[in-house]
Amino acid sequence: MTSRTPPAADASSRLASEPWYLPVADEIAIFEAAYAARLPVLLKGPTGCGKTRFVEHMAWRLYRDAATPRRDIEIPLITVACHEDLTATDLVGRHLLAGDATVWTDGPLTRAVRTGAIVYLDEIVEARKDTTVVIHSLTDHRRVLPIEKTGELLDAHPDFLLVISYNPGYQSVIKDLKPSTRQRFVSLEFDYPAVAVEARIIAHEAGVDAGLAERLAQIGAKVRNLREHGFEEGVSTRLLIYAAELVRGGVAPRRACEVAITRAVSDDALVQQAIADIVDVILP
Amino acid sequence: MSEAGAAAVFADHQRVLALFTQGIVGRHLHLKPFDEGRPAAAPSRISTDGESIRLPAQVADFPDARHNLGAYRIAILHQVGYLECGTFAFDLRVAGERMALPPAAPAPPASAILRRLRPAPRSAELERFFALWPRPALLRRVFATVEALRIDTVMRRRYPGARRDLDRVLAHALGRRPPAAGLRPLASLLEALVQYSLGRPRALLVAADRTGLADALLATAAPVEADGASVYDSAAAALAICAALAALTRPPARPGAHGAGTDEAPPDEPPGLPEAAPAAAAEVADGEAAPADDALDGAEVDFRGELAPDAVFRRLASGRAGTLEHDGAAESAVPEDGAGNDAPAGAARAPVRAAALPPTPRSFLYDEWDCHAGDYKRAWCRVYEHRLRGEDAGFIDDVRRRHAQVARQVRRRFDAIKPESLARMHGEREGEELELERAIQAAIDRRAGHAPDEHLYVRRQRGRREVAAAFLVDMSASTDFPIRDRAAEAAAAAAAAAAGEADPYVWGRFGAPPDPPPPAAKRRVIDIAKESLALMGDALVALGDAHAIYGFSGSGRDNVEFHIAKDFGDPAGMRTWTALAAIEPRRSTRMGPAIRHALAKLARQPERVRVLIIVSDGYPEDQDYGPDRRDIEYGIADTARALAEAERAGVAAFCITIDPAGHDYLRRMCAEDAYLVIDEVAALPAELAKVYRALTTGNGRGPRRRGRSALRFAHPGTGADAGPASGAAPGAPHESRR
Ligand SMILES: Nc1ncnc2c1ncn2[C@@H]1O[C@H](COP(=O)(O)OP(=O)(O)OP(=O)(O)O)[C@@H](O)[C@H]1O
Ligand SMILES: [Mg+2]
Repeated sequence: MTSRTPPAADASSRLASEPWYLPVADEIAIFEAAYAARLPVLLKGPTGCGKTRFVEHMAWRLYRDAATPRRDIEIPLITVACHEDLTATDLVGRHLLAGDATVWTDGPLTRAVRTGAIVYLDEIVEARKDTTVVIHSLTDHRRVLPIEKTGELLDAHPDFLLVISYNPGYQSVIKDLKPSTRQRFVSLEFDYPAVAVEARIIAHEAGVDAGLAERLAQIGAKVRNLREHGFEEGVSTRLLIYAAELVRGGVAPRRACEVAITRAVSDDALVQQAIADIVDVILP
Repeated sequence: MSEAGAAAVFADHQRVLALFTQGIVGRHLHLKPFDEGRPAAAPSRISTDGESIRLPAQVADFPDARHNLGAYRIAILHQVGYLECGTFAFDLRVAGERMALPPAAPAPPASAILRRLRPAPRSAELERFFALWPRPALLRRVFATVEALRIDTVMRRRYPGARRDLDRVLAHALGRRPPAAGLRPLASLLEALVQYSLGRPRALLVAADRTGLADALLATAAPVEADGASVYDSAAAALAICAALAALTRPPARPGAHGAGTDEAPPDEPPGLPEAAPAAAAEVADGEAAPADDALDGAEVDFRGELAPDAVFRRLASGRAGTLEHDGAAESAVPEDGAGNDAPAGAARAPVRAAALPPTPRSFLYDEWDCHAGDYKRAWCRVYEHRLRGEDAGFIDDVRRRHAQVARQVRRRFDAIKPESLARMHGEREGEELELERAIQAAIDRRAGHAPDEHLYVRRQRGRREVAAAFLVDMSASTDFPIRDRAAEAAAAAAAAAAGEADPYVWGRFGAPPDPPPPAAKRRVIDIAKESLALMGDALVALGDAHAIYGFSGSGRDNVEFHIAKDFGDPAGMRTWTALAAIEPRRSTRMGPAIRHALAKLARQPERVRVLIIVSDGYPEDQDYGPDRRDIEYGIADTARALAEAERAGVAAFCITIDPAGHDYLRRMCAEDAYLVIDEVAALPAELAKVYRALTTGNGRGPRRRGRSALRFAHPGTGADAGPASGAAPGAPHESRR
C-alpha cells in the first residue's frame, strides 16, 4: 500500500532554453546581486504579473548562462505551489513504504538544498504554519535544513537560494506573513507593467500584431482603474495574453475580450457591462 | 422625435456609466443629471467642473435605445477629453511663449515682485485669455469650437470603437444646424466653422460660402486635428480666426466698448486673408452694421455642452478636482493604427495611477420611497461619503476612564456570547476525528523507527464569530442639545458636598473657597452617542466582531452626508478613535438613504449575521424629505421602507432613539421588537450592548429569521399596512457599490 498523501505539488524546470522576460525596472540587477550574496528573495505582486516567469528567467541566467559548473545542474529551479494542506513534511520529505521496508524520500525543498537549485515557494502564506520553521533556519546565516525525521541537519549547497512569492491582494489579515519571516527576505514588488511594456509582452507571448497588443494593454490599464469594484486584482497580464491568443485563433476581438477579460474578472453584471463598454470603445 | 421606449434614461444607466467613466479616467467623477439639486439655478448644458460631469436626464435623439446610450458615452468621452487633453491646464504664460497674444487691456504691473505679490488670480487662465480679445464672447466661442474639434479628433484616435457612435451623434447635431449660407457674414462663417467641426466636408462649406473667407478660415482651424495638437494650437487657431473675422466686425478700440464703432469704413485687411477682404467688406457695409454678441448665440452643440473653465478653476482652487496638468501626450495616447510608434517616453512612463490624485468624496445614488405616489423615486438621493478625521487623542482614554464600570459590564455581557461557527482544524494532537492520511504516515514512520508525528486529529474549534455590525449615528443639528446627565450631576453634587465639608477656616484664611470642581463639560446627545459607540467599539474588538461606525446628516436629497469613523476594513486604533471623536452635530436627518448606503456596505461583508444599529434622537427630517417639511410622514415612510429593504437583504436592523416622544413614530417605522426608546441617556451604553447581544445571538437560528421578521410599516396615505414583499423593486444603489 502506498501513502495516499498527495506529493507536494512541485514542478521542476530543466530550463533548456531561455524563458523570455521583459524587464520592467531594475529587478534583474537586484536579483543578481541578491543571488551573489545568497540573500533570499520575496516576490510580491498581483496574480499573473510575471513573477513566475521572472524566476524562471533568472534561474536560466544564473545557472544556464553561468561560467561555473553550476550551469550543468540538472534542475536549476524547483517550484512548489503552496496550498493550505501543505506541511513541512511535504517540503522536507517523508518515509514511504517500499514492500516491507521504508525508504526516505526527499521533498522538493530538500532536493534543492542538496543540489544547489533555486527553490520557488509560490504563495507561501497559503501553506501551514509549520513550514515557516524550516524556512527560518534556511534564511539566516546558518543556511541549514533540519530534517526532523532522520535527525539530519543538512547544510545548504552553496548555490542554493530560496525565493518565495506572496500576493498581498487577496490574503486576509490572518494569513499575513509574520514580520520575523518577512524580514528575512529582500522584497521585490511587482505590479502590472505600463501600457507600452505590457503591449510588447502581449505581442511577444501571443504572437499578435503590435496594434492589437497595444489596444489590449490599453484595456488592461482602464479595467484596472476599476479594481476596487468587487475585484481586487484588476485584470492580469496573463488574461490579456489569453485574449490575444483567442484573437489569433480566429475569435472576434470583442468576443475574445468578453470571455477572457470581462467575464473573468467580475461577476457583477453592472461592472461587466462597464468593462464591456470600455472594451467596445477602445477596440477598433 | 422618437418613441419613448427608445430613450436612454440617465437613472437607468447611471451606475454603468459611472463605472465606465472611472475606468476611462482612472478616478471617480460624479455623474449628475441636469435636474439634480436646484433645478432653476443649475446649468442645463453638459459640462464638467473637473469633479463631476453634468448630463441630460435622458437622451432620445435616436430611434434605437443603444444609440441613445452611445450618445451618453460620447458626451462623457467628450468631457473627459477636456480633462485629459489639457484644456483646463491652459496657461497664459505658456501661450505667450507660443503665440503673439493681444495686449491685455489694463497693462499688467511689470515688476516681477509685484506680480508675485498679487493675489492668486480669481479666474481661470482660459477666461483671462478670452478677455484679451475686444469681444471676449467671440474668442470664447471660436475657441470652444476648435477645441471641441480637437477633442473629438483625439477621441476618434484614442477610442476607435467609439467612432460609429461619434459619427452618429455628429450627424445628428449637423442635421439641426441652420444652413450657413442664409446667415449674415459673421454668423455664416461661425456657422461654417461649427459645421466643419461637426464633420461637414470643407469643400461643401466653401462652395456654399458667400463671404469668400470660409476656405482660409477653415484652413486655419485644421492644425488642431493633427496628432499631438495641444490646447495652445487651439488657442492660436482661435486667435487667428478671430483676427480674420475682425475684418467683418471692425473691433472697437477699447475692450468693453464694442458695438460702438459702427462707421461704414471698410475694415482693416486681416493678414493672411487678403484676397477675401473686398467681398467681406461689401457684406459688412450693408448687413453687419451693429454686430452684437447675440450673433454668437445659438451656436451650441448639445452633446459638446459648454466649457466652464471657471468651474474647474474653483474646484482646483479648493483642491478637489483631479489633475488636469497632463497635456496631449496622455497615458492613453495610442497611435491610430497601434503599430509603428515606438514612443520612448511612453514606454518609460510608469502607469498613471489614481492613487496619486487628491481624494474626491465619492457619491452614490439611491432610490427613495415616495409614499404619496406609492412608488420609488429612482436614483433620487445622492449620498456623499466622507472620511472623518480628528485630532482628539484624549477622547478614548477619557471615555474608558469615565465609563470604566459600564465598560466592564459590557465586556462581561459579551464574554458570554459564544462564537457561532465551528471550524475544522486539521493536524491537531487531539480531536473528534482521526485523519486517515496522517495516521498512515504515522504508522509508516513508526515502522521506520522514527518518532511519529502525533498531529493526527481533526478538531472542531470555535471559530470567529460570524457577525458584521454597522452602527449608524444621527449627526443632525438637534444632537447638539444639552442633556441632563444624572450620573454626572450626582458626581458633581457629591464633589460639591465634599468641598462643603472642608474646614471653612482653612479657606477663610485665603479669603475664598476654591473653585467648585468644574462641572462635567456640558454633555450633549451626540456626546453620549459617541461615548457609547467608543465603548461598543472597544468591546467588539475584544469580541472579534467585524464592525463599522458611521454617522449621517446632510441637507437636501442631493447632499446626504455619510461620515465614516471606522469602516469594516479599518483596524481599530487611534485613527478610528480620533475619527469617532470628530463626530459632531451637523444638519438634517435624511435617514432612508443613509440606511441604504449602510446596507450596501453590509452587503459586501461575508459574515453570516449582519446587523445595523441606528442611534438617533428624533424622527427623520430634511428640507425636501417629502412635499412639505412639516409633514413628517414622507420621511417616516421612506425610513420604514429602507428598514424593510434591510429585512429583505437579511440584515437585522434596530433603532435606538433618545427621544421620549419616540414611541409614536417609531412604532410606524420599526417592528415591535426592533426599536427602543431611551429616556435616561446614561443608559445608552448598557442598552446598546444588550441590544447588540440579542441581535447577534438569536436562539441559534441566526438573527430574526422568524419571529422578528414581521416588519410592518404604515402607509400614511391609506393607513394600510404594506408588507415587505409589496412588489416594488427595492431601492438599489445605482453607483459604485463596491
Ligand atoms: N515582464 C514579463 N516578461 C515576459 N512575460 C511576462 C512578463 N510579465 C508577464 N508575462 C507573461 O504573463 C504570464 C503570467 O505571468 P506569471 O505566470 O509569471 O505570473 P505570476 O505573477 O507568477 O502569477 P501568479 O501569482 O498567478 O502565479 C506569463 O506566462 C508571461 O507570458
Ligand atoms: Mg506564478
